[in-house]
Amino acid sequence: MTCRVRALILWALLGIAVSASGQTADAKVRVDSAWARRAPMLAMGGAKTGSGTGAIYAAIVNAGSDPDALLAAASDAAMAVEIHETYQDSGMMKMRPVTKIEIPAGKTVEMKPGGYHIMLLNLTRDLKAGETVELTLVFQKAGRIPVTAQVK
Amino acid sequence: MGTVWNRRLAVLLPLFAFSLAAGAAETADLKSGVFKPPRPAPDFSLRGSDGAELTLSRYRGKVVALGFGYTSCPDVCPTTLFYLAQVREKLGAAAKGLQVVYVTVDPERDDTERLKKYLASFDPTFIGATGSPGQLAEVRKAYGIQISRQTVPGTQSAYLVHHSSFVYLIDRAGNIRALLPFGVSVDDIAHDVKALLSG
Repeated sequence: MTCRVRALILWALLGIAVSASGQTADAKVRVDSAWARRAPMLAMGGAKTGSGTGAIYAAIVNAGSDPDALLAAASDAAMAVEIHETYQDSGMMKMRPVTKIEIPAGKTVEMKPGGYHIMLLNLTRDLKAGETVELTLVFQKAGRIPVTAQVK
Repeated sequence: MGTVWNRRLAVLLPLFAFSLAAGAAETADLKSGVFKPPRPAPDFSLRGSDGAELTLSRYRGKVVALGFGYTSCPDVCPTTLFYLAQVREKLGAAAKGLQVVYVTVDPERDDTERLKKYLASFDPTFIGATGSPGQLAEVRKAYGIQISRQTVPGTQSAYLVHHSSFVYLIDRAGNIRALLPFGVSVDDIAHDVKALLSG
């Protein structure tokens, strides 16, 4: 299965999940202090499409009494957006994609350098300090939450 | 914290005698991991992102911060480079005595042009280095840097290069003096660079 097909299926499933749960009127989950690390779009072998990677960090606050989970992220600043985690193993800093980040009830999960981050693959533009990046975070229960990240 | 790092680094760096004892350095009192006694930094000859041959000896007389990473790394590498850029800002006029040298662990994707543009987004004085896979492996071996290139399921990234993330501080005489694990604060790095510049 190609990545594109997989991505479409993922989005279709998310659409169902989100519409089924319905976005509640009073937001129990919120996203605080989102920021992106400055990063340049890089040419790759003369290709026109963007290359270069970026990362977005934020604090996800679950003020509700039900657990929630971050399932996906989307942004037009990159060709692909994934949720990743940096971890230490065998003396190296390693990275892996994660399918979701659990946000327990009443807790804050902080994405920060050296830990969870939203990874931007193949940037479509430079991320310059002082600018902003728009993204959408998709939660299991809270649905889609639009976020503006400051580039630092 | 100190003992944890000490243990971790002792595992990492069997080649080096290493001590974190406070105030143990002969000349400079450093906040990061200290090499005792200082050990000559192995020299190398790679291709610099300025297009010229890049040797460590080219920077004798400056303090060198030597790190390893790659331009497709979204989290650890940019964080380290951003911190080093902030250190240079903090040093003010003394910043001219600090040279950041960044050696790629991903020569397949990182050519000199790409390294140059990437590093310039943090600080235009940073210099990148690449070479043949064999040359780069030699340099990593000399500095105890491990890498592991892996195709990871669940990401559209073609492959990831896991790598050791610490940065060496090399003094003006070309001796390895300190080792910065990932996450050491800008203030502490600036403190140590200053100490080495005045030592």
